Amino acid sequence: MRPTMSLIRREFAAYFTGPIGYVALFGFLTLSGFLFWIVVGLLTEKGPRGVEYPMQVMLGGAENPEWALVAGVLFWGLFPAVTGIITSRLIAEERGSGTLEALLTAPIRDWQVVVAKFTACFGFYLLLWAVTLVYVPVLTDLRAEWTGTFTYYAVVLLVGLLFLALAKVGFWFEFNGWLVLFLGVAGLGLTGAGAYFHYTADETQLVKLTAGIDPRPVLTSYLGVVLAGAMFLALGLLVSSWVKSQLVAWMLSLLLGLCFVLPAALRWAFEPGTMGYSLGYYLGVPEHFRRDFTRGVIDTRPLVLYVSVTLACLYLTVRSLEARRLR
Amino acid sequence: MIVVEHLTKYYGEYPAVRDVSFSVEKGQVVGFLGPNGAGKSTTMRILAGFLTASSGKATIGGKDVFWDPIEARRRIGYMPESCPLYTDMRVDEYLWFRGGLKGLGRSERKTRMGYVLERCWLTDVRRQLIGTLSKGYRQRVGLADALLADPPVLILDEPTAGLDPTQIRETRKLMRELGQMHTMLLSTHILSEVEATCDSVIVIYQGQKVADGSLAAVRQRHGNRPLEDIFVRLTGQEGI
Repeated sequence: MRPTMSLIRREFAAYFTGPIGYVALFGFLTLSGFLFWIVVGLLTEKGPRGVEYPMQVMLGGAENPEWALVAGVLFWGLFPAVTGIITSRLIAEERGSGTLEALLTAPIRDWQVVVAKFTACFGFYLLLWAVTLVYVPVLTDLRAEWTGTFTYYAVVLLVGLLFLALAKVGFWFEFNGWLVLFLGVAGLGLTGAGAYFHYTADETQLVKLTAGIDPRPVLTSYLGVVLAGAMFLALGLLVSSWVKSQLVAWMLSLLLGLCFVLPAALRWAFEPGTMGYSLGYYLGVPEHFRRDFTRGVIDTRPLVLYVSVTLACLYLTVRSLEARRLR
Repeated sequence: MIVVEHLTKYYGEYPAVRDVSFSVEKGQVVGFLGPNGAGKSTTMRILAGFLTASSGKATIGGKDVFWDPIEARRRIGYMPESCPLYTDMRVDEYLWFRGGLKGLGRSERKTRMGYVLERCWLTDVRRQLIGTLSKGYRQRVGLADALLADPPVLILDEPTAGLDPTQIRETRKLMRELGQMHTMLLSTHILSEVEATCDSVIVIYQGQKVADGSLAAVRQRHGNRPLEDIFVRLTGQEGI
């Protein structure tokens, strides 16, 4: 556990000691800021025109106005590029500079190396999206009011948040790895359950939230983004273990990533109900977001795709590292 | 401490190491000699667990490097050839990270880090970025890393390559001191270094072992000639 935790810390910190993290943050936040600007324009427009699902525009699924479509295409073109930038350095750089030799001769198993590297890049990816949470109050027309009534569920929620904060502090101050993992998982569970019951079962809330626009599509969109991102990151990690050059790794992972983006554009070429159409839907990640996640629908088919591709890629990455020893 | 039996490694069709067997007793300092491309690095990489042998067996302190890799690696401090390091980290950050990777606890890591920084003359540069260090200092960081977990066995691949004469002398002094505490296998081309630091030698040529034994024994077997002559004759380039 301790070797894994050490490696996660080092890999995560490495995003900020080199230019890569900042490049990814800059590219991603510029584009999501632009999309947000379009949404705000649509939300405040006078007259009958407007926007039904703000999150759909935010995640590049809108077809009108035209510039929203352009921004959407840009967004989904850039998405695999950003995940590629995040993952391409993970193993390729180490192979190129030879530091992989020092890493793989340390007493750590190959799957621990892969899990640690994946966790670190996933953490950085979550950080990218965490920054966009500042848009959420505007996207849902949110009003918050402090009522100060503590119910049981509110306490569960707060304890969950405390656990999460402790897990984070404990991770950086090198507490026992299992303790950190327990605090993190327990905190996540308590926070989720507490928040859900507090806002559905309790009559008065600690912080009374009133949303002018339905907030549930926001939740489902973030769920989709987290899992779809995991898939693209796992693909990038696998590619990164094949080559020695970061640039080649980035280009290959962009290419592989586009295999899960471009089918969405093909759906126009097929009649609904045909085999080609459903195949385009199954593989086209932008289509999952346009039709389902951003409209508040949780379809399990894409979720199964994301999770299974992620696990398959991580497994193949471990095998790829092992195969390198047998060369 | 190190036992190697019939080790063979093929890169595709090419045999890099062919049926090499040797053993290194506890507390010995062994020089691993051979011309470039003889299979020194390959053998060391197999011992360190970076490569897997095509056939044969190797154990470190009784732990098989293939069947029990984690336990075997715990017993080894390995310094790869040309000593690759993360250039974006500071010296103490790097050693702290490596300590964690080797499973050392906080307090243990702190004391070991203080010890190796002192031992490898790194205390002055502990806050410097590794990317800004000279070759000699980087080599010392690699050595500090190998010593970090206080392993019983040290495997050093060309620890003095690319150093200036003063640094070579310093490193050699350090090796002699370390040789009293650790079992050591070090590869080199520099024969005077072997004579200065090692108890015994293993000479390898074209993937095969051609000589093995204590320095005096090897010399005696080849008519008490200088080590350089013996080396040249064993590696089949006598006319030069």
